[in-house]
Amino acid sequence: MRKKRWVPWVLVGPALVVVFATTVYPLLAALYYSFQKYDLRKPPQFAVQFATELGDPLVSIDWSLLSLNNYARAFSDSRFINSLYVTFWFTVISVALSVVIGLLIAVVVQKNGRLQTLTKILLIFPFAVSPALKGYSWRYMLNEEYGIYDLLIDVVIVKPINVVIELVNILPFVDIAPLSESIVWLADKFWALFMLAMSETWGWAPLIALMFVGALGSIDDQIFEAARIDGANNWQIFWRVTLPLLRPVILIVTMLKTIFSLKMFDQVVTMTGGGPVRATQTINYYIHQVGFVRNLDIGYASALSYILVVILTVFAVLYVSKVLNRD
Amino acid sequence: MILRKLVCLLTLVLFLALPFAAVSAQDHMDPATFGLDASKPYDGTHLDFLICCAAAPQFASAAFKGAEEFTAMTGISVAFGDVPFGSFQEQLYLEASNPNTEYDIVAYVDAWGTNIYDYLHPLNDFVMDAGIDWDDYGPAYQSASTGNSDTIYGLPFRGHPLLLHYRADVLEAVGADVPTTWQELSEVSQAIVDSGMDIAPVSMYYGLNVDQNLFNWYSHLWGAGTDIFDENWEPIFNNEIGVAATEQYASYVRDGYSPAASVAWNEQEANQELIQGRAAMFIGWWWMASRMLDAELPEVSDNAAFAPAPGWAGGDIASYGYLWPVGILAQSDDLEASLEYMKWLTHPLTERRIVLDETSGLNTNVAVRLSILADEEVNAAHGGLQGIASEVLANARTIPLIPQYTEIVPILAETINEIAIDANADIQAILDLAAEDVRYVMESAGYYD
Repeated sequence: MRKKRWVPWVLVGPALVVVFATTVYPLLAALYYSFQKYDLRKPPQFAVQFATELGDPLVSIDWSLLSLNNYARAFSDSRFINSLYVTFWFTVISVALSVVIGLLIAVVVQKNGRLQTLTKILLIFPFAVSPALKGYSWRYMLNEEYGIYDLLIDVVIVKPINVVIELVNILPFVDIAPLSESIVWLADKFWALFMLAMSETWGWAPLIALMFVGALGSIDDQIFEAARIDGANNWQIFWRVTLPLLRPVILIVTMLKTIFSLKMFDQVVTMTGGGPVRATQTINYYIHQVGFVRNLDIGYASALSYILVVILTVFAVLYVSKVLNRD
Repeated sequence: MILRKLVCLLTLVLFLALPFAAVSAQDHMDPATFGLDASKPYDGTHLDFLICCAAAPQFASAAFKGAEEFTAMTGISVAFGDVPFGSFQEQLYLEASNPNTEYDIVAYVDAWGTNIYDYLHPLNDFVMDAGIDWDDYGPAYQSASTGNSDTIYGLPFRGHPLLLHYRADVLEAVGADVPTTWQELSEVSQAIVDSGMDIAPVSMYYGLNVDQNLFNWYSHLWGAGTDIFDENWEPIFNNEIGVAATEQYASYVRDGYSPAASVAWNEQEANQELIQGRAAMFIGWWWMASRMLDAELPEVSDNAAFAPAPGWAGGDIASYGYLWPVGILAQSDDLEASLEYMKWLTHPLTERRIVLDETSGLNTNVAVRLSILADEEVNAAHGGLQGIASEVLANARTIPLIPQYTEIVPILAETINEIAIDANADIQAILDLAAEDVRYVMESAGYYD
C-alpha cells in the first residue's frame, strides 16, 4: 500500500503554524528590530503596514536603515553592564544554593517511608507558586516591622551569634562588634540580591531535590553494599560513590537552573523593583524597562534581548548535548 | 396623636420632595443635560475603554456609575478593559501604538501620556464646541492634560493632591499643632520621639516602586524654590537649594523619625504603617484617606485627620498634582461616539453623582473639577476632604511633561533611593552624578542643539 506522504504534514501543520506565529516570527522580527531604530512612540512604517495589511515585513525591509548601533550602544551602556553583573551574581548564588540544598533535601528524603513520601508530595508546592506571588510573599516576609523571615533570622541566627560574640568579648583585647538585629534586607545591596536568589532557591531546590531523588533511586544498591563491605563510612560513600554517580544529573540540573536564572524577571518586579538603587536589575528586567516602560526603544531592547539569547543559547546547546549524550 | 402627626408630616415632606427627586432622576436621563445628541446618531456603536484597576473604587465608580443610563440615552455601549496598575503602563503603550487596537478611549497617568501624545486625538475643538468649562480644572490638572503645550490631549478624569494623613490623638498628646511645613513636621516628629510614645512619628517611602519615592521629593524641591530643570532644560535639582531640599527629605529616616525599613518601602507599605497604628503621620494621595477612615483599629479610624501636605518654611507650598487624564486614540473608528461619551463622562453632574454615591465598592472622594471640590454637599459627605484638596491644588504643579522624562525618572528615583539607604551618603556628590546622567539623556534627545 502506497504511503500518503502528506498525512504527517497535515497532522503536524497546525502545530507548525502556531510555533511559527508565536516563536519563529517574533524572533525574526526582534532580530530585524535590533538592527534599526524603532521607537515605540513612532513605529516604523513597515510595522504599521504589516499590522494593517498582514503583509510580510521582511519583504519591505529597507536594508539601508539597518545598523549595528544598538549592539555597539549596549557595551557602552553602564546600566546594561550593571545588569550583566547583577545577573551573573544572581545566577551563581541561586544555582549554587538550589543545587546544594536540593541535593541535601534529596539525601534526607530518598528513603521509603510515610514521612518521606509526604515530604516528597509537599516538595512540589513551592515550585507551583507563581514567581510574581513568590516575590510579593518574600517582600512581606522580609519586612523588618512584621516579616516572619526577619523574625526567624533574628531569633535563630543573629541573637545566638550575638550571645557568642558577647561571651568572646569577655576575653582581654577582644572587641567584636555584634551583628545588627535591624538589617533592612531589601535596602542592602548585597542582601537584596541574596534574598532575591533565596526566593528563587525556595521554589527550585525542592524540584531539584525530586530530580535527585529519582537519580538516587536509579543507583543500584549493590554498589553501596560493595562500598560498605570495603569499609567505607556514610560520608565516604556519599563523597566517593553517590556524588560521582550523580555527576551527570548534577550537570544537567545546573545547566537547566542556569538557563532559568539568567531569565529572572518576575520576582525583581514584585520583590525589589530592581533596587536598592540598581542592585537587583537583572538583564530581563532592564530589557523590559528599556522596551516597554522607560525608553520605549524597541530596537535597543531587541538588541539587548539577542545578547541574552546568545548567552542562553550557549547553555541550551550544552544542556541539550549533555541530555542527548546521556541517552 | 403625636405619631399620627409625625406620619402626616413625613408623608407631606415625601410628597413635596417627590417632584425634585423626579427632576433629579430626569436630569440624569436627559441627553440635553449633558449636551448629547437626543436623536441617537450613534445607536448601536460599541466603545472600548482602557482603564486601570476597576476593583479600586475611584476607578470602579467612574467606570460603572451611570453607564447604563448613558447607553439608554445614546444607544452607545461601553466596555471597560480593566488592567492592573502593575502592567497598565506597558499595556497602554502597546495599545496606543497598535494601529488595530480595539480600544477607543484610554485613561493614563500624566507622566505616561507624553509617550502617546502622537496617538491621541487633540481635544481643543471638542472642549470649545461642547462648552466644557476648562477653567473648572486647576492649573496643575490643566498642565497635565496639555503636556504644558496648547494641545489638549486628555480631559482630567481622576486627580490626586497630596495630603498629610495624621493621628489627631497623637498630635494632641504631645501638644503639637498640625505641621504646615516640612521643618515643622520634623519638630512634631521630635516631640513624638521625646514623648516616649510607642509609635513612629512619620511613615515615609523611599523604596524603588513605580518611582513613588519622588512624589514627596518634588514637594521638597519645589517648596524650597528650585526645580528639576531650568528654562533651558538644564538640570538644576543639584544646586544649593536642591541639596538642602534633599537633605530635609532624607532627614526623616536619618533622624529616626521614619522607620529604618522605610528606605525599602513603597507608598502602600508606608500607608499600612499608619493604618495598622504603627505610625502617626503619612503624606500620600487623598484617595488613600478612606483607608485610614475605615481602619480596623478604632484608635486609628476614630482619630483619622487630614491636612494639606506641608510646604517649605519661608518658601512655597507646592506639591505634585497627580492626574489621570482620559483621551481618545487617534486610530479609533468611532471618534464621534467617543466624543459623546467624553461629554457625559467628564460632565460635572456625572462627577458629582460619583462622589456622592455611597454604594459600597463605588464610594470615593475623588473629584477633579473645582466646582465639585467646592460643593458643600460633597464636602459634607466626605468630612471636608474636597475643601482640603482644593487648598492643595491651588498651589499644585505637575512634572516636566516631555517624552524623555520617563527615561529621567528612574535616574532620579534611584538617586533618592541611594541617598536614603546610606545615612552617610554625600548628597551633593550623588545629585551631581544624577544631574550628569539627566543631562546626557537631554543632550542625546537634542535639547541643547
